[in-house]
Amino acid sequence: MSDVMEKIKTEDRTVEIKIRDLGMTFKDNNGNDMKALTGVNLDIYKGEFISLLGPSGCGKTTLLRMIADLLEPTDGSIHIDGRIPKEVRLMQKFGIVFQSAVLFDWRTVRKNIELPLETMKFNKAEREQRSSEMLEMVGLTKFADHYPVQLSGGMQQRVNIARALAIRPEILLMDEPFSALDEFTKEKLHKDLLQIWRKTNKTIIFVTHNISEAVFLSDRVCVLSPHPGRLSAVVDIDLPRPRTLEMRETQHFNELVLKVRNSFEGGSL
Amino acid sequence: MSRKLKRKKSLWYRIHQNEKVQSAETVLLPLLFGFLFMIMWQTQKLHTLLHTDTFTLPLPSRILTIIADNSDKIMLNVNATVIVTLAGLVAGSLIGYGIAVLAALFPKWGSCGLKIIAAFNAIPIVALAPVMTNWTKDVSNHADIRSMVAKIMVVTIVCIANMSINAYRGLTELKPFSEDLMCSYAASKRVTLIKLRLPNSVPYIFTALKVAVPSSVISALVSEYFAEYIVGVGRQIRENIVLAQYSSAWAYIVVACLIGIIMYAVLMIAQSFMLKKRA
Repeated sequence: MSDVMEKIKTEDRTVEIKIRDLGMTFKDNNGNDMKALTGVNLDIYKGEFISLLGPSGCGKTTLLRMIADLLEPTDGSIHIDGRIPKEVRLMQKFGIVFQSAVLFDWRTVRKNIELPLETMKFNKAEREQRSSEMLEMVGLTKFADHYPVQLSGGMQQRVNIARALAIRPEILLMDEPFSALDEFTKEKLHKDLLQIWRKTNKTIIFVTHNISEAVFLSDRVCVLSPHPGRLSAVVDIDLPRPRTLEMRETQHFNELVLKVRNSFEGGSL
Repeated sequence: MSRKLKRKKSLWYRIHQNEKVQSAETVLLPLLFGFLFMIMWQTQKLHTLLHTDTFTLPLPSRILTIIADNSDKIMLNVNATVIVTLAGLVAGSLIGYGIAVLAALFPKWGSCGLKIIAAFNAIPIVALAPVMTNWTKDVSNHADIRSMVAKIMVVTIVCIANMSINAYRGLTELKPFSEDLMCSYAASKRVTLIKLRLPNSVPYIFTALKVAVPSSVISALVSEYFAEYIVGVGRQIRENIVLAQYSSAWAYIVVACLIGIIMYAVLMIAQSFMLKKRA
């Protein structure tokens, strides 16, 4: 049970993503500078499950988008294995899961999963093999030929995850992927996600505003505070792996949740 | 007794709530109305209501007889009108869609250019048709070909603006994050166009066509009024009214209506096939 924990602790923790003095300043409607994020220093390790946690306006999504090269920082730098985000994006090493599933209505579930493979010029046989593999991983093999409108919200989000994993990315970026789902579906997907993570050994950066979700899933929780957005604490989560839903009832879990909650600057949310 | 009455009411209510009955009602009620209208027309009750006579508003039986007796001549004119309508519709829609694609690829110029094209849309057909007839004077030595080109051009212009504005919306109003998604796949502008924008615009193409099909029929009919060569359903309506042959004019009016209705029905069938799986 604790062998996975052991692995994480003893293994040489190679830094994969190096974030230094990162800041983002937007111009608001009146032309005034608005600091969305400032002075972020963070090392993210290879194969780690790390959460970016904070209330809305704390810049957690901004940070994720900058790592993914969907947004260019105004200050500081990000290096991923020594490369800037743009290079890594062009090498197609990011898998991104957005808040909404963003499935294309006109494609079947299978064809949606194959979309990134098409842009990467995989041939038909390879695409089919990969998409079958992904469909099995997320348990939607039976729904391969369905269209997105025929799926529930939870199923759509699973297709979304499958599509992100289809290109075998090194880094999986998830932006509040489960925030629109009901509690039951969410718990199911938490379990599925942790299983997929164990199987694939990817680095996962998970943005959320839900404290217990962050604690339950992550190795480390980065706490961000708003006005201006900044990194106010990084909390190690030493719950054993694999994690079970029962762990949420333990005292240790509650202590960790409290610890995270108390680390928000300015006290309570 | 009172119990029986209550039962009757709920039965009526249940029949009314039945889905099959409801969908049948949406077809049957308009048909019933149309049928009653035709009966009133045929029995001249309509004429009494409108204070008119059977010379200006011929009876349906008379109109149908004329259509049946002159079917060869009518088909000749229908052909001319349908060719103009379809050619103009296809040409205008293709050009409009091409403009929309260009506008979507070069947004800075695009949105401005589309506003100018939208302004073209305000030119009335009645003004456009004589201008086109004048422009196409030197296209060919044959009057029939010259007129055909002029008429097609009118329909084309009417269709361009409508299609380009709708298609532009289809190419640019994308689901949130879908552009980010393509960007994360390092997809080029061309790939994003093919995989995301073009398929996204398909429902908008149908929105455009739903307006374009009836308006292209109308503009074909009107442009025939001003054409040099005397052919087409629109032209026959005019000629017959000038000669006070109202029965024949009405026969062509009925045929013109049928052309519009059939083309629209074909479009709706095509749409139901193409958009079957969409939300």
